[in-house]
Amino acid sequence: MSAPIIKVDAISKSFGAFKVLDGLSMQVMPREKLALIGPSGSGKTTILRILMTLERIDGGYIQIDGEQLYHMERNGQLVPADERHLARMRQKIGMVFQLFNLFPHKSVIDNVTLAPMLTKGMPRPAAEKRAMELLDMVGMADKAKAMPAQLSGGQKQRVAIARALALQPKIMLFDEVTSALDPELVEEVLNVLWRLCAETDMTMLLVTHEMGFAHDFADRVLFFDRGKIVEEGKPDEIFRHPKQERTQGFLKKIIAAGHRV
Amino acid sequence: MTQWSGYLGLILQGALVTIELTLMGSVLALIMAFLAGMGRLSRFFVLRALATAYIEFFRGTSIFVQLFFAYFVLPLIGLELTPLQAGVLALGLNVGAYAAEVVRGAVQSIGREQHEACIALNLGRWQGLRHVILPQAFLVMLPTFGNNAIELLKATSVVSLISLADLTFQAQVVRAQTGNTMVPFATILVIYFVLALLISWGVRSLERRMARGLDGVRV
Repeated sequence: MSAPIIKVDAISKSFGAFKVLDGLSMQVMPREKLALIGPSGSGKTTILRILMTLERIDGGYIQIDGEQLYHMERNGQLVPADERHLARMRQKIGMVFQLFNLFPHKSVIDNVTLAPMLTKGMPRPAAEKRAMELLDMVGMADKAKAMPAQLSGGQKQRVAIARALALQPKIMLFDEVTSALDPELVEEVLNVLWRLCAETDMTMLLVTHEMGFAHDFADRVLFFDRGKIVEEGKPDEIFRHPKQERTQGFLKKIIAAGHRV
Repeated sequence: MTQWSGYLGLILQGALVTIELTLMGSVLALIMAFLAGMGRLSRFFVLRALATAYIEFFRGTSIFVQLFFAYFVLPLIGLELTPLQAGVLALGLNVGAYAAEVVRGAVQSIGREQHEACIALNLGRWQGLRHVILPQAFLVMLPTFGNNAIELLKATSVVSLISLADLTFQAQVVRAQTGNTMVPFATILVIYFVLALLISWGVRSLERRMARGLDGVRV
């Protein structure tokens, strides 16, 4: 048995008086594909944002790949991590956002090459060669010179995925990556995720409302509610035979809303 | 007729001084704007306080007094400035204070999602600012910078009061020598206006060039 690549230990997080995460613990194994589902405000997006260091935790510990994320050792004691430690840890993690967050003033290929050139000192020709391979993988090679504003939502999201991949993270976080897309564009993004699954050995965490996709794609599903994991298990267990009342209630609402499970 | 062409030469010399002042003052203003504007956004209290003090002071006192201070008071503490240096200093610092707020506002107008993309791509603070935030913010700043530059151009006329031979100064010379008030002042009115038009036009074409592709239409 290998060690978990992500180990979340009793973390809590509040926004003002609102407790988003309340003593949450979870583990993710290398190469595992995890779907995080649950009603909005349940904390599933917050956990991704915390793993990407976009939000800080109020308490608890997180280990990534055997190292503390928000703490570092000094004189045998754990102290809060400094910016350098965080930057080193971020190399292991990539994130794709619901609203793509592409850089609008840069062409598609420049969006993909920027970070490798700046953070890894990669020379432009090498960065561009790698970027073209990634754009090819997401089916966007022919748009390399285009500006983000010329692309459809699905195309933007595929570029955003290529951009995150360019840093070769071990863990990829997908935060509702199809939620902002027109229905007919969802498929092209999900196909890219399937391809990543087949061609890479990244660990993938995805927050999604696409229950059908979560069922087919994930090795394990976590159902979040009110800052806690209420139920977790294989997709079939969660979607076909949920044990907890709250999980059943949530899935019923989702099905009523017309989502396929 | 020959007489007027000589006076026109005088006024054109004045125009050169005005242009020189505007250009040098704008460069200083731009530098101050970025220093103070970024200072206002700094994590460090001392930098924020310094930037705020500078901005409030130079916005809160008259350019006229600032110029006199630079030219007449600084020599008393051993800092002798030529009229041109005093003019550039006062104009640059004054307009820079206004433009600093433009820089701050523009940087803050760039959405949180851009900052978050920078973090997710592991860019350092400075890298994100330099390659992602500032290039987008600069486009937001440009139109107001154009206004600031025109304000600076018009404010240059105060240097005539410290005997710098700019447009306004030369118009007064011509008026004194010819006794004609209408012709010299009408002439410099037109010249100021044309210079301001040139600035507007320059800033607009720069804006168009930089915005290319951002809206997905012009490439």
